[in-house]
Amino acid sequence: MALRQIRIMGDEKLEKVCRPVKAVTARERELIEDMLDTMYDANGVGLAAPQVGILKRIVVIDIGEGPIVLINPEILETSGEQTGQEGCLSLPGQAGVVTRPNYVKVRAMNENGEEYEVEGTELLARAICHECDHLDGIMYVRYVEGELFDVTEEPEEEE
Amino acid sequence: MTKPVNIRELALGILQEITEEEAYSHVVLREVLEKYQYLEKRDRAFISRVVEGTLEHMIQLDYIIEQFSNVPVYNMKPLIRNLLRMSVYQLKYMDSVPDSAVCNEAVKLAQRRGFYNLKGFVNGVLRNMARRLSQVRYPDPAKEPLHYLSVKYSFPVWMLSKWVAQFGYATTEKICRDSHMEKGTVVRCNLQKASREEIIAELERDGITVREHPYLEYALIISDYNYIRAVSAFKKGWIQVQDISSMLVAEVAAPNWGDYCIDVCAAPGGKALHISEKLMGSGYVEARDISEQKVRLMQENIERSNAINIRAVVKDATLYDEESFQKADIVLADVPCSGLGVIGKKQDIKYKMSEKRQTDIIRLQRKILSVVQEYVRPGGVLIYSTCTVGADENQYNIKWFLENYPFELESIDPYLCDDLKCKTTSGGYIQLLPGVHESDGFFIARLRRLEDEPAYEEESWSETDEPAYEEESWSETEEPAYEEAERLGADVLPYEEPVRFRTELRNEENRPETNPAYEQEKQSESGNRANADWEPSAHYEEDDGMLEAEEGIEYLD
Repeated sequence: MALRQIRIMGDEKLEKVCRPVKAVTARERELIEDMLDTMYDANGVGLAAPQVGILKRIVVIDIGEGPIVLINPEILETSGEQTGQEGCLSLPGQAGVVTRPNYVKVRAMNENGEEYEVEGTELLARAICHECDHLDGIMYVRYVEGELFDVTEEPEEEE
Repeated sequence: MTKPVNIRELALGILQEITEEEAYSHVVLREVLEKYQYLEKRDRAFISRVVEGTLEHMIQLDYIIEQFSNVPVYNMKPLIRNLLRMSVYQLKYMDSVPDSAVCNEAVKLAQRRGFYNLKGFVNGVLRNMARRLSQVRYPDPAKEPLHYLSVKYSFPVWMLSKWVAQFGYATTEKICRDSHMEKGTVVRCNLQKASREEIIAELERDGITVREHPYLEYALIISDYNYIRAVSAFKKGWIQVQDISSMLVAEVAAPNWGDYCIDVCAAPGGKALHISEKLMGSGYVEARDISEQKVRLMQENIERSNAINIRAVVKDATLYDEESFQKADIVLADVPCSGLGVIGKKQDIKYKMSEKRQTDIIRLQRKILSVVQEYVRPGGVLIYSTCTVGADENQYNIKWFLENYPFELESIDPYLCDDLKCKTTSGGYIQLLPGVHESDGFFIARLRRLEDEPAYEEESWSETDEPAYEEESWSETEEPAYEEAERLGADVLPYEEPVRFRTELRNEENRPETNPAYEQEKQSESGNRANADWEPSAHYEEDDGMLEAEEGIEYLD
């Protein structure tokens, strides 16, 4: 398990548009492994490569139903609307209210380089949008309605 | 992206703290809601409702769970146990939450909290339950009356059996039923600041429903408001939130112009303030309590009332204060108690109390009594009160007290309205029962110190001495003690002969095996709740501390 350092808002890597991945090699697979480890360690539900300083179009997501790896994700379809609070590992301790589509369909490659489609609603839809935005240098704070507020993460009790 | 706040997970966390870590429900809930102030009102209301409802019906929920699970509730992992409890509550009592959502969210939550392998169990139990909830068979009131009461109203059997022995079955059921009723908030009008009519008019202008309380003319029952601090009559200091039973304490104390009073367990100060009002600025009230925090709370309340003849000080009621020796005209001993009279407001009390704990509390009560009786001047008055129900902490304590100290009970009839007068009030005390009286469960006794002390009464106590009651047989021999209490003037069996309850039940047509009344009642209850916009007790979480909230068992910690 290798943890990478999560970049905090203000880091210029978070403001760049990332390059598409041409081929999924051992390097990418190692990056994906590390991203998942880093995400779980930070108690997140999603992480994009620029958040660990790599400008590649790769995101990992796990909303509690198993890991999802999206390489070169492309949002095909969205519908509906959900408004709720959102936070980001690159802006720890804060959250804000963001409106996102309630349904998202995305096409991407998995860690084996195979193309597939993922559909998500509610939290998964929100996470897909949030992470894909990172690949274009966009932080969620751009969309926040009202003020950001402080949140302190509950320490997770594992049994 | 970070994990969003999951309101069910928050509710589960609160329940864990309350049921597994002995935290007090109103404290934990208040802390969490304060921390997550940014959550939407709807989400906050959901959290309060699920937590309070689950606690309110916990024994019943456990009973239902055990109809569908091979694993008994006490054998489950605590987290799974509480997850199931709150899920069943939503299935049974919250029509606004679809069954599928309850099951799915519970399964996800089990997984998130590291119980991947129990996912299937949670799913199976809940889906089964969602389908067959209406077919659950409840205990038969004719065959197992105590078990029936216990499951229907979620009261522990040991408590019920004590009450049935003392009050009879029908009254016990009334007490239990009452604890599940929605009630208005009782407020005391400060008639020095405004007339009753002015206050009622002011409240009604705010759209508040006002009802007059039958027991005291300056007590009003208010409902349909969100937040007491926003009520204009409250902001002006015209009203204080206080249960009727606490108001009766000042009535029964009946201070005279210029009296010196000590309230030895005063926080949050409602009774002491009431006395100070009754003194019309004369005399002096010393409101004592054990901790800085409680005294600070009282100080705030005193400041709001602008009273000049009252002071809050930190003093432990179990430690003798030499300076107060026989100084007081009136001593109020509203002692820490098991709080069984206010279960309707704090549901977790009924699960946290045990006979053993009650024994410890009784020891503390007697200790306090033995100390504070010293402060009463000869001919002065000691008011003993508790917010609990049952002879152990009330009549038996009085009996013990009279045997050991030079006091006598004095009739309280002159201070009560006709509705409240009964055999015991002329004897000097009253046990208020929720569901029977329009009040919390409460006990008040008025004791007067004899003018000339009997010679034997020199002994008593020194700082380190435990009071002499230990040789007493009050705990071992229940039955004779009842008799003795009765001789005292107590009607320990005032309502029904307990033996009669079986036949009585059979005669009542409304609850044979099928129990249609049972379901109906539940439905009407959930209906009422729904109307309240998921905010059944918003006023408790935001009260000004003048409720009896800070009293009772908390003192022990």
